[in-house]
Amino acid sequence: MNKVKLYIQVTHVSDIARRYFAMNGFDGSMTVLGVILGAWITGVKDPKVIVMTGFGACLAMGVSGFFGAYITEKAERRRQLRELEESMLEDLDDSLHRDASEFASALTAITNCLSPALTAAISLVPFIFSMFGVIPIFNSYIASFTLTSLTLFSIGIYLGRVAGENVWLYGIQMLMAGLVITIILFLLGEFA
Amino acid sequence: MQHGVRRVVLDVLKLRDPPLPELAMRLSSIPNIDGVNISLVEIDQNTESVKIAIEGSNINIEKIQKLMKDYGAVIHSIDEVVVGKKMVTI
Repeated sequence: MNKVKLYIQVTHVSDIARRYFAMNGFDGSMTVLGVILGAWITGVKDPKVIVMTGFGACLAMGVSGFFGAYITEKAERRRQLRELEESMLEDLDDSLHRDASEFASALTAITNCLSPALTAAISLVPFIFSMFGVIPIFNSYIASFTLTSLTLFSIGIYLGRVAGENVWLYGIQMLMAGLVITIILFLLGEFA
Repeated sequence: MQHGVRRVVLDVLKLRDPPLPELAMRLSSIPNIDGVNISLVEIDQNTESVKIAIEGSNINIEKIQKLMKDYGAVIHSIDEVVVGKKMVTI
């Protein structure tokens, strides 16, 4: 545990992981919101279709997030390590900086993979209940829309806390993004 | 009775991370070391030059060198070594 703390301290990875968490969590929520609204507009009555489409999107985002972040972060960390080696005029192969650098790439990749999957899964929970006949599909749409709005709002609150500014303002800004996609999709639905 | 190394002063170039308190704590956890003093001599964008004074009884310098390597630090020189029954100063 102390080693993990040391690696985080050396690489300053918590800042970038926090950024990835909020950014990709937001992406996950918005993607599934798009899927759910699209299903609502086209009158999808089978929850299985929404769950599978949503999880398909989640999985794709998760896998792409993992590899994208891992390779990008690894390249960046290698460059930083080379700069440090040049400053020290010494090979850092056996130092904790090499291990910390690998750890930072892996942690960023895992955060980038799990955050969209987590936020997207929250929005899909009502449809899973609906799949097993616990609640009607109409209620699932309402519950899912409410949960997605709450998730977006929570991400805003979290970012407001990080910034140390008005948390409600950040929450509302995130909700507005959800509202924009809702309006656009309903307008598209009108013309389709 | 052999007393071994009682005090050693090192001139070290280290990266800015991990910070000085972390390195000092880690050094003080090596067996036979009673106290550590790290003084900053010069600071650069990525590196720090420091003087490290370590006191104890029968200090194992190899363990210190290994720890320095693990922490990405380089010992430029060993500036002072005190051995024997009595702590001798110059």
